[in-house]
Amino acid sequence: MTWVGAPVPRKEDVRLTTGRGLYLDDVARPGALHAAMLRSPHAHARIVALETAEAARLPGVHAVLTGADAVAASRPIRPLIPTPVPLPDWCLAVDRVRFAGEPVAAVAAVDRATAEDALERIRVEYEPLPAVVDPEAALAPGSPLLYPELGTNVLWHDILAYGDVAGAFARADGVLRERFEIQRYASTPLETFGAIAEYDTGLDAYTFWTNDQRPGLTLAILAESLAVPQSQLRLITPDIGGAFGNKRRPAYLLVCALLARRSGCPVKYLEDRLENLGALMHACNGVMDVELAYRTDGTVLALRVRDVADEGKNLVSPMQHNLIKLGNIVNGYRIGAVSYEAYSVLTTKCPSGANRGIGKPFMCFAVERAMALLARRLQLDPAELRLRNYVRADEMPYTTPPGAQYDSGDYPATLRRALERFDYRGARETQARARAEGRLLGIGIATSVEPAGTNLASYELITGRRAASGSAEAAMVRVEPDGGVRAALGDPASGQGYETVVAQIVADELGLTPADVHVERGFDSSTTPWLYLSGNYSNKFSVTDVGAVLGAARAVRDKLLRIAAHRLEVAVEDLELADAEARVRGAPGRGLPIRELARTAYADVLGLPPGEPPGLEARHAHQNPLAKPVGAGRTVRSQLVFSNAAHCCLVEVDRRTGQVRLLKHVVVHDCGRELNPLIVEGMVHGSTVHGIGAALLEEFRYDATGQLLTATFMDYLKPTALDVPDIEVDRLEHPSPFTPLGAKGVGEGGSIPAPAAVANAVEDALAAHGVTVRSLPITPERVWRWLGAPKEAR
Amino acid sequence: MNDVLVRLTVNGRAVERTVPARRSLADLLREDLRLTGTHVGCEHGVCGACTVLVDGRTARSCLLFAGQLDGAQITTVEGLTPADGPSALQAAFRECHALQCGFCTAGLLATAHELLAETAAPTREEIREAIAGNLCMCTGYVNIVRAIELAAGRMRRP
Repeated sequence: MTWVGAPVPRKEDVRLTTGRGLYLDDVARPGALHAAMLRSPHAHARIVALETAEAARLPGVHAVLTGADAVAASRPIRPLIPTPVPLPDWCLAVDRVRFAGEPVAAVAAVDRATAEDALERIRVEYEPLPAVVDPEAALAPGSPLLYPELGTNVLWHDILAYGDVAGAFARADGVLRERFEIQRYASTPLETFGAIAEYDTGLDAYTFWTNDQRPGLTLAILAESLAVPQSQLRLITPDIGGAFGNKRRPAYLLVCALLARRSGCPVKYLEDRLENLGALMHACNGVMDVELAYRTDGTVLALRVRDVADEGKNLVSPMQHNLIKLGNIVNGYRIGAVSYEAYSVLTTKCPSGANRGIGKPFMCFAVERAMALLARRLQLDPAELRLRNYVRADEMPYTTPPGAQYDSGDYPATLRRALERFDYRGARETQARARAEGRLLGIGIATSVEPAGTNLASYELITGRRAASGSAEAAMVRVEPDGGVRAALGDPASGQGYETVVAQIVADELGLTPADVHVERGFDSSTTPWLYLSGNYSNKFSVTDVGAVLGAARAVRDKLLRIAAHRLEVAVEDLELADAEARVRGAPGRGLPIRELARTAYADVLGLPPGEPPGLEARHAHQNPLAKPVGAGRTVRSQLVFSNAAHCCLVEVDRRTGQVRLLKHVVVHDCGRELNPLIVEGMVHGSTVHGIGAALLEEFRYDATGQLLTATFMDYLKPTALDVPDIEVDRLEHPSPFTPLGAKGVGEGGSIPAPAAVANAVEDALAAHGVTVRSLPITPERVWRWLGAPKEAR
Repeated sequence: MNDVLVRLTVNGRAVERTVPARRSLADLLREDLRLTGTHVGCEHGVCGACTVLVDGRTARSCLLFAGQLDGAQITTVEGLTPADGPSALQAAFRECHALQCGFCTAGLLATAHELLAETAAPTREEIREAIAGNLCMCTGYVNIVRAIELAAGRMRRP
């Protein structure tokens, strides 16, 4: 092994730095039309009348589609997790709109501008209904209902208890009770979401180009909704300009497909930024009531949580925001008893959904804020309190009360390394000096687990039956007839550099260099091996994809060695692959180049060993072995392999303006074996900055009528280069025993603890002002109010 | 819809097109000239992805109408790419892992190009100030700053 573990610069970057990438909007199909969607201005309304004739008459318009057309020409979109009663979800609103920005009609025209002109000629009469913006109000009896047939806005309510919760609370020296909230925010990939659909009338077949990050699931939905076999669907992903969980909305692909059928032309739709910010996907906002039962020495005995997840109008992937927190709700702590009450609630807002770390940033914010408050209450150093409660390295693998298995890592060592890198003592001295000068400096610590790989069997906890389960991915490796090597993966990258990492893995197995291995860009369902589970989600590359690539590469390696052994008349065991040839160990000069073995496999097939089929191609799917069905006592491994991280940051609060400035941010993380340290470090930087944005800047804010107030990048603020410091990164490397190369997830890690770390630092800075940070983002206005009127602080 | 005749120079080549008056420079580059290296991220002038050089100065191509640029010299990422391989900035972006999804990169290269044309040895703070109008959702900017610093050093001693 030589390439895995090396900081190999990315293969992708040769094209991406020179303007030669191929993103969705760069895909030009001959005769393609451009679609635009008319969207509801109301958060909640009945559609009384919809008139499109005038739009259809505009020159340049080829097709118009309404909800009624969708009902006639398609079937409802199936949610990832079935709702308690079927709630028909069409690709365009039918009879009723349930958030401002919900599409009610679509037009395909010669260009986007003409299509938007046509939207202005569509007349819609709405009868406004009361909006439901607050999730607590939405779950209360008497609330206006999004779906009267459901009888409630609550999709899931359950109380799951593990261990002797009541006993632990009775034994405790004290109980810390607090309520935390998290806002709506999103990773807002710089490329927006969209699709091109093409319909072949002769074959009754559809081709989609899309930056959808979960093609396996999307293909299943498209087939059901279009009522065609999956064999008549093809889905291709080009370069994807960031995804982070946000890029999935089967409805848009369906709209393009139906418009393509109507017009007889390929149809392209790409969100503009307003549509992206207001209608694609927000990280789930929510409310969490946390109770920690503790002893005076700081030992946390039990955790009781009531977690209200605000789904918005989410029928794409509802209910998972609760589920995804359950297994790791204790974060990295040895807390023996857990009670978790889940509410998944519909409101008249943009659908909630996956966003870099889905659910875990809130888990971490709530638990790490509670730990900070407990440290303050017990007058313990916040680092010391954590060290007293961590799961220890010698307890690994450790099973949490709800059933997650923490496979590896040394949480105390991770925090200690972070304190050392941060110079924690020095920072406390700096802080004391600054305070003496009247400056407001604060230090924040937050640590977290970072799971990878979602086990779909966990959905059974909600639905009571198993439809899909496990976590898996598929890959292909092929030596071409000329000896060149090509690989493909069912997981389309959206910036993670898979072309490079897959090439590193294959190069090691076949005795090549990464430059010798061509890895297919993205996904093509007609050539890429794939599963229902395939896709770019749940941080799963290291826990499933790597095994798929390794399995395929090893099958090809074994076949190369068998052919070489036959040709050289030696035993397979005496051969090795190195420097692009199969050679006899210890006998320089005795070998055959891969090119020559490929000639045998494809052309001179009489030279193959007896019984060996021609060709040099292997497909392999890898299922992570940790996934299990729901177990006794409703325990479940909802996620599979756990990285961990510790963040320490130093902030200064400006008394006059309320501005929080981040002076230093140190991350020590452990994602097991780092397959490409260059890529890993980049992910940690980016993920951490996303978390800092959530802490200080980003919020999708709605008014009481359900109107989004922050719908542009002028109002919805992203971190710029001036808002964040150089993130300082160090690492530990505890390989996972449960992944093929010992690697663990890395893409989500920074975004999970960073919001809590920054919040803890701001609260520490404002300690003298009696401020408790219960929600985010910590904007200058809020800080200014806290400083001006600490009694009113919330 | 009124059409306008636009004559300008794009990456050193004379271009003459009749386009609708509402056509943005970004759309002219991407749709009419098929120079798809310039990306459109927000269409309201904040994200910086569509940044190109107009007469040597950075400009948001989403906020300019093609029709107002008669006679201008436009340089896009394609024009910033030497025929014989990547530029010093492009090579440094790759070496420093200054991009992940790559969607912001063309705009950042244009911004960095302008910075280094004016300031041969920028400090880290000056680099951050210069790129503050370019959003990157992937990298957290750390490696972008490193890459521009590295390229600046190499360009000073070729």
